[in-house]
Amino acid sequence: MKIFYLEILVLALAFLIFVVDLVFKKQRANLIPWVVSVGLFFILGLSFIYKPQGSFFSGAAVSDSLALFFKKLFLMAGFISSLGVFSFAPERFSKRQMEYFFLLLVSLSGMMLVSGAKELIFLFVSFEIMSFPLYVLAGFLKKEAFSVEAALKFFLLGTVSSALILYGFSFVYGMTGSTYLDKINTAAGNLSGLFYLGISLILAGFCFKIAAVPFHMWVPDTYQGAPTPFVAFLSVAPKAAGFVVLLRLFWEGFLPAQNFWRPQMILLSALSMIVGNLLALPQKNIKRLLAYSGIAHIGYALLGLLVVTHYGISMLLFYLAIYLFANMGAFLIVELVYRTQKSDELEAYAGLAQRSPLVALCLLLFLLSLGGIPFLAGFWAKLYIFLAAAQQKLWGLVFLGAVLSVVALFYYLKIARVMYIQAPLTAERLVNNKAILISIILTVIPLLIFGLYPKPLVELVNQIARQFLP
Amino acid sequence: MNLSFYLILSALLFSLGFFTVITRKNAIGILLGIELLINAVNINFIAFAKYLGNPVGVVFVLFTIALTVAEVAIGLAIVILIFRVRKTVEADQIDWLKG
Repeated sequence: MKIFYLEILVLALAFLIFVVDLVFKKQRANLIPWVVSVGLFFILGLSFIYKPQGSFFSGAAVSDSLALFFKKLFLMAGFISSLGVFSFAPERFSKRQMEYFFLLLVSLSGMMLVSGAKELIFLFVSFEIMSFPLYVLAGFLKKEAFSVEAALKFFLLGTVSSALILYGFSFVYGMTGSTYLDKINTAAGNLSGLFYLGISLILAGFCFKIAAVPFHMWVPDTYQGAPTPFVAFLSVAPKAAGFVVLLRLFWEGFLPAQNFWRPQMILLSALSMIVGNLLALPQKNIKRLLAYSGIAHIGYALLGLLVVTHYGISMLLFYLAIYLFANMGAFLIVELVYRTQKSDELEAYAGLAQRSPLVALCLLLFLLSLGGIPFLAGFWAKLYIFLAAAQQKLWGLVFLGAVLSVVALFYYLKIARVMYIQAPLTAERLVNNKAILISIILTVIPLLIFGLYPKPLVELVNQIARQFLP
Repeated sequence: MNLSFYLILSALLFSLGFFTVITRKNAIGILLGIELLINAVNINFIAFAKYLGNPVGVVFVLFTIALTVAEVAIGLAIVILIFRVRKTVEADQIDWLKG
């Protein structure tokens, strides 16, 4: 059981706030976010100290260095987003705060379980433990039509994609006779027909979950309608969970069939980069713009997945870690601006540099990191992904990615121009909110440190990839 | 009975479900289509479990049934919320988010 100690602690925290909500009726509005943030901080600290390795349920769940790396990522995303929701929650839904954090923590525990799943039933159940609370959280502002509509779209596409994944699983199980990934791997070499159909269905289903083109329709709508501090979490953590599942399935399960799935992934990666970057150009709403830029980033990350070397895996991990910080930070600033201006449109950002220079500078850093400007961490992430692809002679994709990175700079710098050059509409300063500021600073620091000195993180991910793929 | 009959039945059911999901205007209708999709999967699993003679497929079906119940509960809750806010459950009128 000890390999699940992080998940158990997160669930224990979820039930603790349940009790806190019942016992401290009067102070609960201020108490619950504190309990969750402090609790997650301690669990995050523990995850760096105690790292049990091993397997459970006769190999259905493992705790290897890959799983531990992703668990740390999810805990960081959970911690930062719980700081981000700190004063949002008492204002918008003070009586239902407990539900919000309870669902967030349950979803977090599902993500952590899925990062160690090596068996199809365990994998699917833990993936759904992650997904169900997300559907509810997207519609958490239940009186606002936008939020509920976002939840409906997210739910419908999410469930259809789950059905696709299950249909694919049934063929994989039927053709190989097992649901364990290592047994599927040994059986996968000399199969055809329905097994390949199953792989394609699974890939399509998970592309819904990670939002790769052509399965991306829900993303801009859901991001625009759902509560922003939650979108900061939704835009990174479930995507990383989707990638760890894809890594497990396609590297540990379906690797012998790589000649079949690699061309499909190449197509998905190219389409995501093209459509994401080009559709981001005309956007006026910053949440939709970041949604499309996120789709493009998924395309870059898929590039790391389909490079079938351990260098590709390590660079994918690097990319996901950097993307997590930059994207969460950008969405937290969107939330901060929304609280003053009550608008997510680009005009709300006019003259932000004069009104709140520090916040504007942070947003600029996030955007430049997402755009891949040296010397911010996003630059190394993109460069390493391209190098990994170039090693495998995927010159077409590298060229496409490099050209589209330049296109991406155009819309990232469009926001910067609005912030720094346009005159402000109001002289009003932004709401001063310590918790969000702390969470923003927590996301800026890694970008700066790993931008100037990426070596420690690179060595860490290389070590993980080598253990994952001896 | 041959395995392929069951696979063809489940493929037909899956296509019907997919058709329902795509063409239905009513959100409840779409939920029904999703049920059809999951049931097609269940038939597939049971058929393979019988054919292979190992019970893992049956276990998988038990899990999918439980998960589908939870899923539909959430879906109906969201549909009720939509109805309260917008007074409609027609999917083509729920289009305020676009751009």
